[in-house]
This record gives sequence, C-alpha cells and structure tokens, in this order.
Amino acid sequence: MENVGAWAWRCGVLWLAFAAACGGGGSGGSAKPATKVKIGFINSVTGPEAPIGEHLTNGALLAQDDLKARGISVELIKQDDVGKPQIAMSALEQLVTGDEVSAILGPYTSATANAVARLAQQYKVPQLVPVASKDDITRQGQNYVFRINAVATQYARSLIDAVLSFGSPKTIAFIYESSDFGTSVSSAGKAYAAEKGLQVVADETYQKGSPDYRSTLTKIKALNPDLVFMVSYVADAILLMRQSREVGLHPQAFLGGGAGFETAQFEAERDISNLVFSVTQWTPEIGWPGAADFAKRYTERFGKRPSYHAACTYAAMLVLGEAASKVGGDRAKLRDLLATGSWQGVLGDVKFEDYDGYTQQNRHEMAVIQYQAGKAVVVYPPAHTHGKAVYPFPGWN
Amino acid sequence: MHTFVQAALSGLLMGGVYALIGVGLTLIFGVMQVINFAHGDLVMVGMYAAWLMFSRLHIDPFISVWLTAPLLFGLGVVMQRVFIQRVQRAAAENQILLTIGLGLLLSNTAMLLFTSDYQILTTSYSSASFKVFGVSISKALLFAFVVAVVMAGALYVFLMKTDTGQAIRATAQDREAAQLMGINVGRTSALAFGIGAALAGVAGTLVAPSYYIYPQVGHAFNLKSFVIVVLGGMGSVVGATVGGMLVGLIESLSALYLPAGLKESVVFGLFLLLLLFRPSGLLGRARV
Repeated sequence: MENVGAWAWRCGVLWLAFAAACGGGGSGGSAKPATKVKIGFINSVTGPEAPIGEHLTNGALLAQDDLKARGISVELIKQDDVGKPQIAMSALEQLVTGDEVSAILGPYTSATANAVARLAQQYKVPQLVPVASKDDITRQGQNYVFRINAVATQYARSLIDAVLSFGSPKTIAFIYESSDFGTSVSSAGKAYAAEKGLQVVADETYQKGSPDYRSTLTKIKALNPDLVFMVSYVADAILLMRQSREVGLHPQAFLGGGAGFETAQFEAERDISNLVFSVTQWTPEIGWPGAADFAKRYTERFGKRPSYHAACTYAAMLVLGEAASKVGGDRAKLRDLLATGSWQGVLGDVKFEDYDGYTQQNRHEMAVIQYQAGKAVVVYPPAHTHGKAVYPFPGWN
Repeated sequence: MHTFVQAALSGLLMGGVYALIGVGLTLIFGVMQVINFAHGDLVMVGMYAAWLMFSRLHIDPFISVWLTAPLLFGLGVVMQRVFIQRVQRAAAENQILLTIGLGLLLSNTAMLLFTSDYQILTTSYSSASFKVFGVSISKALLFAFVVAVVMAGALYVFLMKTDTGQAIRATAQDREAAQLMGINVGRTSALAFGIGAALAGVAGTLVAPSYYIYPQVGHAFNLKSFVIVVLGGMGSVVGATVGGMLVGLIESLSALYLPAGLKESVVFGLFLLLLLFRPSGLLGRARV
C-alpha cells in the first residue's frame, strides 16, 4: 500500500514537471514562432554602477513590453557584470554559447562595453551599445559592434560649441574623475578647446567617491579660469558643485560633462545646480517622436523620471528586437540589417554609419541644457532650444 | 599661502571625521583582537539613519546624531552577542570572513530597503561656508568636526576616568588577566563593539549632509579606516585620532601640490613607508 502511494506521488511529480516544461516552452513561441527572439542583456545590476544600471534595466523592460504589443516577443536574458570587465566578458560567453542569443544589448559602462566588444566580434554576434561613450568602442573596425548613443568626444564638442556661441571665454580648467568616461570626455575636451583657441589652465583628475575636493577646487580658483569643465559619473557632481560654492569658485560658466550632471537629483539641487550647463544624449523636452509619451509611461511605471540611459536603452532595445525578429534571429543577417537599416524613435533618427574613423556609429545629436531655477532648459543646438542661456555666471548668492 | 591654509584647514576638518571612524575600529580591535571589516558598513547605516530621519521626520542630522548613536550602539551589541562572540577564539581568517559577511549583509539589506539609488541629504548648510580672512570654512564640515571632537573627548574621559572604561582598557591590555581580576570580558567586549559601532554611526551621520549615500558607500571608508588604525598603532585610541587627522591633512595637501588623482597614492605610499620603518604604528606598542 505504501509503495503504491509513493509510486503515485512520484508520477504526480513527474507529470507536474513535464507540464511545467511544456508550459514554459510553449507559452511564448506557439502563437508566432517566427517572431520569438532571444537577446542577451549585460548590465551593472549590482556593484557601484548599479544605481544607473537600474535605468538601463527599466528602459529595456519597457521596450520589451512595447515590442510585445507589436507582436514581437523577445526573451531578454539578463546578466549582471557588477561593473567589471572580466565578469562582463564571461557573461557574454555564457549568453553566446550557452543561451545562444541572437544579439547582445549593453553592457553599461565604457570599460565593460569595450571589453565585451572584442569578444562579440570574435563570436560574430551583433552587439548594440546603448550608453557607453568611450570613443574607442566604435573605432576599432569591429563590424559586429554598433552604438546608438553619441561618443564621448561629442559631449565636450557640444558643450564648448555652445558656450562659444554665448560669449568669448579665453581659458578653461578641467577636473574629471580618473575613469574611462572621465578621461575620454576630458581629453576630447582638451583637444577641442585647443582647436578653438581656448587655453587649458588646469588639468586635474580625481578618484571618484572622495568626500573632499576642496583643495583641488581652491587650486583651480587661484588660476581664475573663464570656464570650469567637470566630468563626474555619479553623485560626485553634487559634491563638486557644493564645494565650488563653499570655496567661492565662480568662472563665467560651469560645464558639466554629462552623466552625474544630468541626473534628476542634480537638477533638484537648486542651490548648486543653478545656471550650470550640461549636455545630454536625451531629455524628455527635446521633441523627438514619442519622447514625451515615453517619459510619461516610464514615470508612471517606475515612479521616477527616465534618464538618458533609460531612453537610449529603450531605443536600442526596440531597434534590436525589431531587427532580430525580422531576420528570425540569425546573427549574420541581423548584422547586415543593422548596418543598412534606419529607424526613428525617442532618440530621433537612428542609422549606424561609418564616418571620421568611427564604424557603425549612430550620429546622434546631443542637447546642451542649462539648469534654470531647478529646471533643465535646452539652450543648444539652436534647432531644439527652449529658452535663453544665462551667460556669464553671475556668481553665488 | 592662502590656498595652503585653505587646503590644510579642510583636510584637518575632514580628518576629524576620519578619526572618529578610526577610533571606533581601533577600540574594537584593541578589546577583541577582531578586525571589523563591517566597520564601513556601520558608517553606511549611520548615513541612512540620518537620511531617513531627515527626509521623513525632518530632524537635522546634528540633532539626530544623538539618536543614531544609541541605535548603532544597540546594533553593535547585537552583532557582537549573536555573531562575533562565537568566533572570538577562532582563527583570524574566520573572523575576517564573518565580519566581511556581516558587512555584505548590511549593505545588501540597505539595497533591498532603499534601492541602490544615490540619496542626497541637502540641508541649508550643505554648501554654505564661513569666510574668515578670505579662507572659507565649510559649515557642514566644521559642525561635523566639533561633534567629532566632543565625542572623541568624551570617549577619552570615559576610558580614562570611569571603572567601566578601566575595565575596557584592562581587557584590551590582557584579556586573560582581566578575566582573572573579575572583569566580565564578555560584557566588556559587547560594550566595546557597541561603542565602536556607535562611533561609526555618528561619523556616518556627520558626513551625511556633505556627502552622498548609497548602499556600498561603506567601502570608501573601510580601507581608509584601516590605514588610520594601523598608522596610529592598532588598538591605540589616541593614535587613531592622530592618524585620522593626519590622513585628512595629507590627502588635502597632496591634492593641492600634486595632481588630485594622486592624493590616495600619497597616503598609501606614506603608509607603506611607515609599515617598513615603524610597523607598530605611530603610537602603538610593539607586538610580539
């Protein structure tokens, strides 16, 4: 009697397992088998980069739902790289050989994205970089690597072009964190400043996460530069500006090279963000198709404003999902389609082109913003302006 | 000259907070011979406590610090009683693994509760300063320094003048002898861990208005506090105070005269030299 009971129980378990396996396998694919695609998503879910990584995840999730509404079912296989290149690389190997994904979205940071790019090329799997901005990523002639966002050089170029259209500064000081992002944005800035006849009077790096930048800022204050160009990935931007106010640093303009200078938090810090210029890949106000609607739905779902990271990842995921489903998930065909196709959406026109030594790089236009009384106002380029720039900086009150 | 005074002053003020973190760590090490790798995470808990009380209850960090101190003391005592006490006699690597694990537990709990977003605590004095002869003194940092000095001073008096303080010092000097003299070393250890945790929490609360808060913020303070403790001589409270000030000062001045990116390497470079030529630390007694 006991034996029969055990046998029946075992059968039950087996049946359940079988049913679960069938259900799991069958649910998405049975209706439209041709449109089911697998995309690997490498992102910094934990670790120091996690706060911004979350925006990428949200953007991708929203895009996944939007694709589903259009009848394209995407299986998004997520991997955490903890912000470290070597972990990102093993994540890629797992995704490509184990999960057999059609394409890779991500990773988030420049260091991880660049490390993964080399492997993606080796495995011949299309990689679409959503936000990493280090120039090199699309300058190595890798024909499986695509990038949707503007490169680091563009941050500095847009900012410097903007201030030169507002006034005629002569000198510029750079202070930036010693990361891939910090050094590439600022070295592009230094080169472009020199090209435009600006004299670089200070060139200071810092280790991010330090609570005290006062002596560096004091040193810069003593040099009395017309422009202060800062690059910070995260909340150090707030510290740099707080301490600039403390030591009384007041150039003609503060230029914040993206990232930490374009977060909602920075914007909300009115005391210190007021009249600071920053540059962004995307802002809800810019008026590209669907941008405002995307921002609205994003805020409703996640309870916070989308950052440019979210918008870029959203746009990248839509492009990848759409293209991959069109070619039935074939990697080589997907590569060809990405290289030749064009798309339109929250980032404006998207087309992966070869120019100025870049390959398969979307020529994305950046918006220069100025914080005016706690609100970001687009002040450059003239085609997208929403308000007048205040220049020079009138000083701290 | 002006920039020198400016840098030295802000370095010294920052050093006051470093000192407080270092004192907590050195006290724990002195009494228990356990290196607390969760110390930075206790600083993080203090920061979140300050942020919560500020954003939800509108209590200024310099008032809530008097609440976070007992709170963190309690947390420290619980940590010691439930976890650390069990590895008191275990091999050092087991103790290290345990405290690292506790630290991960704390930081990941914070991530679960508050997400990994950066939290900014902005008070009216977060970016304000006093001007004295053209030198600007950060208000937030000056207040933090004053509280840190008061706390460190109170701790010193407590350790030197009270019976309980004496018991703590006795336990630090020789655990077994202290036990033979009738000191309850178990309770003394819990007390020391509690005080150490409270100091870490206080330091966290004090820097909250001028720094930013996220679950892994503790790591930034962990390494620095070890340097401070070893610099001052492991187990020496006065040594850790001096060490903290020194690290703050060196960081600030080296950022002034060298590229700012090098300031940490100057600290660690000097630290290595000290280890080579005076391994017991500035004020430490030589250990066998």
